Amino acid sequence: MEKSKKYSKTILAVVIFAAIVIVLGLVYNKFKPQTKEGSKEISVTIVVPEEEPKEVTIKTDAEYLRQALDEKKLIEGSDSTYGYYITGVDGRTADSAKEEWWCITKGGEDVNTGIDATPIADGDKFELTLMIGY
Amino acid sequence: MKIKDIVLIGMMSAMMFAIQVAMAILPLPNAELISLFVIVFALVFGYKALFIIYIFVLLEGIFYGFHIWWINYLYVWTVLFFVARLFRRKRSSLFWAVISGAFGLSFGALCSIPYFLTGGIPSGAAYWVSGIPFDIIHGISNFIVGLVAIRPIYNLVDMLYNKAKC
Repeated sequence: MEKSKKYSKTILAVVIFAAIVIVLGLVYNKFKPQTKEGSKEISVTIVVPEEEPKEVTIKTDAEYLRQALDEKKLIEGSDSTYGYYITGVDGRTADSAKEEWWCITKGGEDVNTGIDATPIADGDKFELTLMIGY
Repeated sequence: MKIKDIVLIGMMSAMMFAIQVAMAILPLPNAELISLFVIVFALVFGYKALFIIYIFVLLEGIFYGFHIWWINYLYVWTVLFFVARLFRRKRSSLFWAVISGAFGLSFGALCSIPYFLTGGIPSGAAYWVSGIPFDIIHGISNFIVGLVAIRPIYNLVDMLYNKAKC
């Protein structure tokens, strides 16, 4: 009797854990940034310290930022476990020895997703800024 | 504090940090052993584990750079420590696997607190939601690691610590 009580508590705990995983998955699907189909025009401003910012306008059908930037051959980088990691923009490669890295913002605000998972909409303005220092 | 304690804290902090850095090269994001060690150290060393946690956090800051993520680290592992201390009489591997897994699932929510405070509800909510896939991986990997490794690691650390105390 004691053993079966213990096992049923165990099974209940595992079931609750699995249920929470499923609920989190559903929450993510409901509230994740939604993509937009169709043609869009976005602008990307490339900011490098001590240089004039350069604005690039992209007309694209892409749903995510990475595809739009790839179409214009604006970025270089590599895939990682956390998504695509940008190492170069418009031919300017970040020098990791100098702690340089490329930062993505949208309308001046932080973006919580990588460029693989950042959806784009008509009129969006992005900035790619070369940062120095971790 | 005795010299033995200082040595113990130093060694355990260094071990946690080295393992975290080594596991960062694995192709599975958020899979980590730190939760396991925090639980085991909380159970075996008691409040000395807090010294280990905060030296680990300091090393992380020095290695990866101090940024808003480091503010999260100042409290997130301590939450797990206190949960472990609360249930310190439990010995079931499955129980600790569920605790560790639940901690992994809630990691993003716990880390989003500074974003709620600095950017308001939209910022905090956006940060949390965008990290849910990583939280799910974190929770499941913590559950599996806890199920498999928590009992043997606890037994080993407890045995060695008791031997050293004599």
